[in-house]
Amino acid sequence: MPALALLRAQIESRIPSAFAPMRRPETPRILTGIAGVDSLTEGGIPMQALSEICGSGKTTVLLSLLAQASRQHYCALVDARDSFDPETAKAAGADFSRLLWVRCGKSRQKLPPLEQAFKVADMLLQSSGFGLIAVDLGDIGEKALRKVPLSSWFRFSRVVENQPTALVFLERQPHATSCARLVLQLSTASANIAGNLLTGFTLHADVVRTREKKHAQSAAASFLVKTQWA
Amino acid sequence: MFACIFIPDFPVQASLLPETKETRDRLRCRPVAIFDGPSNLPRIAAINDSARALGIEPGMTRLQVETYGGVQLRERFADLEDEAQEVLLECGKAFSPVLESTFPGAVLLDLAGTQRLFGVPQHTACKIAVRVRQAGLHPQIAVAANPDAALYAAQGFPGITVIAQGEEARTLAPLPIGLLPLTPARLDTLQAWGIHTFGALAALPSVALVERLGQEGFALQNLAQGRAARTLRPIAAPPAFNASYEFDDPVETLESLAFVLNRLLDELCADLISHALSTNELKLTLYLEVMQRRHDGRDERSGEEYVHHWKLPVATQDHALLFTLMRLDLERNTFSAPVREIFLEAVPSKPRLAQGNLFAPPSPEAEKLEITLARIRGVVGVTDEEQCNCAGMPRLVDTHRPDAFSVDAFSSAKPGSTTVSALAPMIALRAFRPALESAVELTGNTPHFVRLWKKYRRVLAASGPWCSSGDWWKDSIWSREEWDVALQTTDGVGYYRIYLDRIKKQWFVAGVFD
Repeated sequence: MPALALLRAQIESRIPSAFAPMRRPETPRILTGIAGVDSLTEGGIPMQALSEICGSGKTTVLLSLLAQASRQHYCALVDARDSFDPETAKAAGADFSRLLWVRCGKSRQKLPPLEQAFKVADMLLQSSGFGLIAVDLGDIGEKALRKVPLSSWFRFSRVVENQPTALVFLERQPHATSCARLVLQLSTASANIAGNLLTGFTLHADVVRTREKKHAQSAAASFLVKTQWA
Repeated sequence: MFACIFIPDFPVQASLLPETKETRDRLRCRPVAIFDGPSNLPRIAAINDSARALGIEPGMTRLQVETYGGVQLRERFADLEDEAQEVLLECGKAFSPVLESTFPGAVLLDLAGTQRLFGVPQHTACKIAVRVRQAGLHPQIAVAANPDAALYAAQGFPGITVIAQGEEARTLAPLPIGLLPLTPARLDTLQAWGIHTFGALAALPSVALVERLGQEGFALQNLAQGRAARTLRPIAAPPAFNASYEFDDPVETLESLAFVLNRLLDELCADLISHALSTNELKLTLYLEVMQRRHDGRDERSGEEYVHHWKLPVATQDHALLFTLMRLDLERNTFSAPVREIFLEAVPSKPRLAQGNLFAPPSPEAEKLEITLARIRGVVGVTDEEQCNCAGMPRLVDTHRPDAFSVDAFSSAKPGSTTVSALAPMIALRAFRPALESAVELTGNTPHFVRLWKKYRRVLAASGPWCSSGDWWKDSIWSREEWDVALQTTDGVGYYRIYLDRIKKQWFVAGVFD
């Protein structure tokens, strides 16, 4: 037996896991409540990580996520353009007693809404105790979002790594690049109209990026979401 | 020595207290009855001597008393009796700092050490009687070596009674045993034995009495003999938690202000801790020094106040937390003049009892959350133009008006909703606030082109109209005609909610389905 192998065997006899690769503990996840998305993301939105939900249908996924998360966790929604509709959220099943809604850009503050949203998200992360922090940047212009330095996204991803919190950004296009553990791209495949009544949409979800497993990348699914009155 | 102020027919005298002196004196000579109870069958609760002389008794119905004629009937009000008791206590406080509010209409005073101030007990009792009469009540006063003897003597004898030490049993002897704290059954027993007065009870052999009535009998005999000794249960004024500081020269910078505020809060919290209390409400008053130039060229000082309330969802004794909250709020404000004086007041409350629950979801720490919320308010502002909070818990308003909501204070100390609603994913609406002004071209009655983002978009499909209106009895009347439309945009097809405001005759885009 060569000397190196002998040395290894001797060490392993005393410390069996000395040369075994370190296994990452399973990341807890929050279900979105949409079966198609949950199976696509292998259990929902990961906690201790930054995720991005983009495209048309992002708000629907967010409200469903809030409804699921608020059953077990305190949630915060940082609304950069005050576009959250409480009526739809209530109908989706969100528990408002566990939801902190921060409406940016509503008072005469000097900071632009995007900066307000980032600052508030940072404060909430520092505060800890929230299971889900969602930052809705869906109505913020692409030009402004592209100017957000990569270091900001990187900082968020590092801070959230050590907390039992799912940090979710809603945007038209993904911007966090490698800082995001999960990027979910949504699009409206078709609208269901019965007579002249809009009854729902068929949404198409595509996992653009995930750090979990290689084969899960670029997986896609379609699912039907109804309107409140359908 | 102890003095007792007793007001006979207390509900009657209390009901006359708000009247003028002349009216009181006039009504005192006339029969007055106080009725109480349900409105369909009120009964007499209290009467004065004149009414008693007519044969009216407590418990009679109002209708029965009305047949007597000339009887002044008055409704019983608890507030009036509370006020009268306060008046009685105020009178007592003028003679002794140690008072016991024994029951409505009776106050006991500890006169120890007051002899050099008010003279012998007889003089003190006279002075007390004068004081109480001036306040509008007619008392019976008794002074004795122990509080219970003074109490029974005041209840049993009119005017002023002074019992010398050792004479209690002899003085109290003629009083009826009904004054003692007896249950109806026990009173019946004693009366069946032929015991009707304090003297008769006091004369019974103690051992035989204890054999029959137990320790209660012994205690009753002690009371009847005027030998029972006890300490008063003095009323304690609620402690006030406030602190103030007046600057030699008015301060202009936050640092100087914060330095003193920190010290005041430290004192206030130490005071609260020493009383085993917390606070969940703070009031800060800053007196500003405003200089105004008069016509003759001289400067004149005038005062302005800045008042701010902090209401916390949880009670705390943590001065660092309170100081941070105050500082964050003061940083948001600018004052028109330098600060001359600070006044800080804390409303005491019981400390928070927190019981950990293994099955409760992890929640933000209440105290830490308050600071975070204060910081967030510093970034996004406190309220919007419609005075709706910028950060908090959303709440739907009970109205049919679209997009009606309010934002309440968020707290992790509140329990979560207990009702579990069925969850089903639903298409969400992203609201445009305020709604975007638009223009719509109609074909027949259906939207054909909608102006959105400065361009006219073709309507591919339209669902509507859905008409609603409300608040027609208010200035905030609303009436709208809603359509859900599919618009051809540069990114593809977008689904929007548009509406016609029928009051303003204007089209708006309310939001987008996303």
